[in-house]
Amino acid sequence: MDDELYLNERIKVVVSFGDGLNPCRPIKFKRLSGREINVKEIGLGYPNMSGRKTIHIFDVTDGQADYRLEFDSERLTWRLTREADHV
Amino acid sequence: MYNQEVPLLMHVDLNSAFASIEQQSRPLLRNRPIAVVNRRTVNTAIVTASYEAKALGVKVGMRFSEASRLAPGLVAIESDPPKYRYVYRKLVAILGDYSPRLTMKSIDEGVLDFHGFTNHRPLIDIGYEIKQRLKDEVGVAMRCNVGIGPNRFLAKTAAGLHKPDGLDIITSENLRAVYGELDLTDLTGIAKHYDQRLRAVGIDTPIAFLDADEKTLEKVVFKSIVGRHWYVRLRGFEVDDREFSTKTVGRQYVLEDRNLTRREITARLHHLCESVGFRLRSQDKLARGVFVYVKTIDHQYWHASRMVQMPFYSDTSINSLAQALFVNAPEGIKEIGVRCYGLCGGDDNKQLGLFSDDIVRELGLVGAIDAINYRYGDRTIHSADTLSGSRVIKQKIPFGSTRYL
Repeated sequence: MDDELYLNERIKVVVSFGDGLNPCRPIKFKRLSGREINVKEIGLGYPNMSGRKTIHIFDVTDGQADYRLEFDSERLTWRLTREADHV
Repeated sequence: MYNQEVPLLMHVDLNSAFASIEQQSRPLLRNRPIAVVNRRTVNTAIVTASYEAKALGVKVGMRFSEASRLAPGLVAIESDPPKYRYVYRKLVAILGDYSPRLTMKSIDEGVLDFHGFTNHRPLIDIGYEIKQRLKDEVGVAMRCNVGIGPNRFLAKTAAGLHKPDGLDIITSENLRAVYGELDLTDLTGIAKHYDQRLRAVGIDTPIAFLDADEKTLEKVVFKSIVGRHWYVRLRGFEVDDREFSTKTVGRQYVLEDRNLTRREITARLHHLCESVGFRLRSQDKLARGVFVYVKTIDHQYWHASRMVQMPFYSDTSINSLAQALFVNAPEGIKEIGVRCYGLCGGDDNKQLGLFSDDIVRELGLVGAIDAINYRYGDRTIHSADTLSGSRVIKQKIPFGSTRYL
């Protein structure tokens, strides 16, 4: 039950904008601690409305843990909001 | 005599939908037993279990503590409505590409009707294409069952034959053979109660059900038109192409702690009333009655209701009626619920009072609050009384309805 952390951490993200069905793809991100995490797979990327504001959510993994990255399309900021290792 | 026409109904079903979506979303959970729950506590009930969990005996509705004894390592994932809504919309978009006659039966299943369209590819090809598009457009871990049949019932039955990734077709030729492989309760719509009724007259298999004559089903087994409907439905003729209107709008909540004070419980009831009011107005409905129920820790069920003359739709009206009823509720509460009934729709029923402008003010106030909440997000403005409840009562997705998606 305690395998999931709820966070609100500003992060730096390297993203590629390509073509296809899912054009925006986070490649890696850097946490406040300085740790860099390479995204191995994007599980699901989907928009979520917060009122009229769109937050793009990316559930990703580095193979060790699952992470949730949120991109605020109004403020152009990225946050890490969840981390889960499911051990 | 069975329906001889070429099957033109397709049922698409994302089985274990919420669990499959979570496994898609969180790659580390794939091929592992997981349970989607509404709250991450040991006493919470399981909303959906993954196929891996089901294989170990985990069932929907089971307590998580009980399930984790059956499936060691079972991972609890809290339900995530926006994610499920997104996949639902993707599914609707994919299915909508094949026929304009699409009916979504719930958040995870839809029916495509190809009647009237002669120039389409074989339905089996379309079924396989839908499966592939689900993987391409949502994710590789997504699977669905596709069933094709001459009516909605047989299409759904076909979709349930080979879970989790099957594609089956039922026609007049293989209908008996398919029924021969099933139990009565495998048929959609036959649960414990109907099963007992059928067995009481010696009908203990789907084949016997199929062979029963119409009069026996109508006069002896079901004692109503339902018997005739079953006679026709089992033979592949359509009786389920009907829309049902909304009769009630409600919300329930299992208390997070059984030691809450009466004041805290009424605050949670108030929160539910606001949620019900928002849903009611989103359907452009008004209500004339409020029903409140309580379940207690010693398994008692208490309920009360009240109908009023003038239709209402504001959170304040719903809450004041519900709180007045709740005064008589017993102690030892573990679950509360509120429902609005006697629904009527449209602006025609928002009747203004002759001697008071209260209703005009209420119309303006409720409209302004809803507009702000739509613009800035759910519950941007809400009653201060419900602040404590907001921490624990979260937005949930109803399984059997697509009205609020």
